[in-house]
Amino acid sequence: MLNQAERERYARQIRLFGEDGQEKLKKSSVFVAGAGGLGSVVSIYMAAAGFGRIRIVDCDSVELSNLNRQVLHGSDDVGRRKARSAEEMLQGINPEIDVDAIVGTIDEDSLDRLLQGCDLIMDAMDNFPTRYLLNRAALQRKIPLFHGAICGFQGQATTIIPGKSACLRCIFPRAPPAATFPALGSTCGVIGSVQVTEAVKYVLGSGELLTDRLMLWDGLNSCMDEVACVRDSSCRDCCNKYNVETNNMWNNVETE
Amino acid sequence: MPDGSKREMELDGVRIEDILRSLGVNPVEVIVAKNGKIVSEEEQASYADELKIVRIVHGG
Repeated sequence: MLNQAERERYARQIRLFGEDGQEKLKKSSVFVAGAGGLGSVVSIYMAAAGFGRIRIVDCDSVELSNLNRQVLHGSDDVGRRKARSAEEMLQGINPEIDVDAIVGTIDEDSLDRLLQGCDLIMDAMDNFPTRYLLNRAALQRKIPLFHGAICGFQGQATTIIPGKSACLRCIFPRAPPAATFPALGSTCGVIGSVQVTEAVKYVLGSGELLTDRLMLWDGLNSCMDEVACVRDSSCRDCCNKYNVETNNMWNNVETE
Repeated sequence: MPDGSKREMELDGVRIEDILRSLGVNPVEVIVAKNGKIVSEEEQASYADELKIVRIVHGG
């Protein structure tokens, strides 16, 4: 049940999808992987929208060069752990929700524990090897993964529903070379907002999800495009029955 | 092309990977959609096909 303050806080959303819909958001637990540029936008909008529990994980500390895009953190946070400033910002935006901010690295050893109790995974990482770990964890747990990535003016997003849609590995069979990427905060804003919209729709059961489609944002030419994707019957992540269903989810994992 | 430009090529059953290399594009850095659908670079393309070469972004 929503309390009176929540009814007022979410009044414009309740007009959109009713108290039932708002309660569905309140009952949802989300895992936000990263508190950088995408993680900032994703977690802020999820907190404001009233997702009931947000677990956000990042191992880094805030640097001055982060502040052009990582709107969870301010100038006074430079040198502090991102998880700490994220917690304060998100709880300040919405004290009605539970924020579980963790200083930690997302890797094969930690991910299973970090995902305990989470219903959705928000990809706000900055590298593909960790994204492949999130992909496999989503497949193994049969929970959705909302992918987003950016570089400069460009961004991409897709929604992965295990067992139904192409997975991240079907779309990107191999990781692109690692490189320091240019980043514009507003590109994070576009892509992170798409990810949150997808998560809201998923929880509500509304609309048409961005499954089996890769959305492409070209900010330089102000152009939104998409390409179709299909499940790859030879995908080593989602079409290898043994690997997905085994209890040892990290068996034979290759992250690169 | 990844930069938004367009090229027309006379092709007849050429592997997409070879097309990428002829254009100076590293196949590891891109995915390719043929007629709107992502395909493996092992696939072939001909003159009537429209290829969209998408540079994979990985930042967050």
